[in-house]
Amino acid sequence: MCVGVPMQLVEINYPSGVAEAKGVTRSIGLQLIAEDSLKIGDHVIVHVGFAIEKVDKQRADEIWEALEEVLRMMDEEDSSA
Amino acid sequence: MIKTQDIINHIRSLVPGDRKVRIMNVCGSHEHTIAFSGMRSLMPEHIELIPGPGCPVCVCPESDIIHAITLSRRADVILVTYGDMLRVPSKDGSIRAQGRNYKMITSPSEAIRIATANPEKKIVFFSIGFETTTAPTAAILETGVPDNLYILSSHRLTPTIMEVLVKDAEIGIDGFIAPGHVSAIVGSNAWNVFSEIYGIPTVVAGFAADNLMLGIAEILGQLKNGKIRTGNVYAGVVRPEGNIQAQNIMAKFFEVADVNWRGIGYIPESGLELRDEYSARDARKVFGLKEIKEEKIPGCICGKVILGKAYPTDCKLFKRACTPKSPAGPCMVSMEGSCNIWYKTN
Repeated sequence: MCVGVPMQLVEINYPSGVAEAKGVTRSIGLQLIAEDSLKIGDHVIVHVGFAIEKVDKQRADEIWEALEEVLRMMDEEDSSA
Repeated sequence: MIKTQDIINHIRSLVPGDRKVRIMNVCGSHEHTIAFSGMRSLMPEHIELIPGPGCPVCVCPESDIIHAITLSRRADVILVTYGDMLRVPSKDGSIRAQGRNYKMITSPSEAIRIATANPEKKIVFFSIGFETTTAPTAAILETGVPDNLYILSSHRLTPTIMEVLVKDAEIGIDGFIAPGHVSAIVGSNAWNVFSEIYGIPTVVAGFAADNLMLGIAEILGQLKNGKIRTGNVYAGVVRPEGNIQAQNIMAKFFEVADVNWRGIGYIPESGLELRDEYSARDARKVFGLKEIKEEKIPGCICGKVILGKAYPTDCKLFKRACTPKSPAGPCMVSMEGSCNIWYKTN
């Protein structure tokens, strides 16, 4: 529930928008970020369908790397269980 | 890029040789990374990494779960909540086992869609969690929700429970790793109280193992040089002031309240309830929900685990009468619960 996923904004219809990550697009809420600070192409961290903070691409990539690492470790545990 | 081995070597160089250092994380995702990466085994002998209250599902009062079950059994209600909440046990069973009209959602926006699609029903959104889920619930209220949508708020405040922990001498915390995304909302300044009042280094970290270890190194460095402050190794995501717009929206709809934490008890000013002016949306008021006395789960030490007073492996039920498939206590249910995480890694 508390896992935040970085996504890239591909559409803005404030207070909602559409964001994409890893080929998946999702409608998200943008109310928690000021409208005039958002533009298409921005990376945001999404929690339960809402952008909670903007991040730069490098940080977005790092978070994805960390998420994928955790998922990989979980898969390894599951397959060895 | 700093190499993992370099960080570990740095941590080893900072360890005080004469005493244990207890560093607590207060985020289920941090505990996930620590446990699954085997980070504890990489730490020097004197460093103890303690899982703390990072699981909102675990502390959600039994009373609210029973209310959720009862409401879901009404013909005119559809209860909606996050997936983990459906499986949390109570003396009346879980929502999934004993509830009737309920739906799992992954976002507060889905509660609006369900309410719009079912205008003849009352939709009760059992909204739980720390600041990262409170803000999205406040966001839908800010935009406007259908008249048939009600909020059963069981939101909790991270800084308040951390202050309870530092005041408890039995726990003995030397440093906090502060949760990354909660900090994105409340700001790293929210942790200044720990460094400035209690002299406890508190460092915001992200969820990558390297980043967490950088946080640990910073805590040890501060303890060594005596210059205690709030640190942030998750810059670029977390600002000192946090997300002001999110804070303002939360404050508009929610007010601080004295609330119960399951397995722990009442803690003053540690939760959020809807403000009086939004009582028409407040399921507690609309449905007249009264507090139900909590019953202790025999043998379960979830409360102690949350407070850092025990490890999951100290529990007699762990891996015996309590498993993720058949959880006896709330800490075994959620993927953010320490018992659930330790079940998979110990």
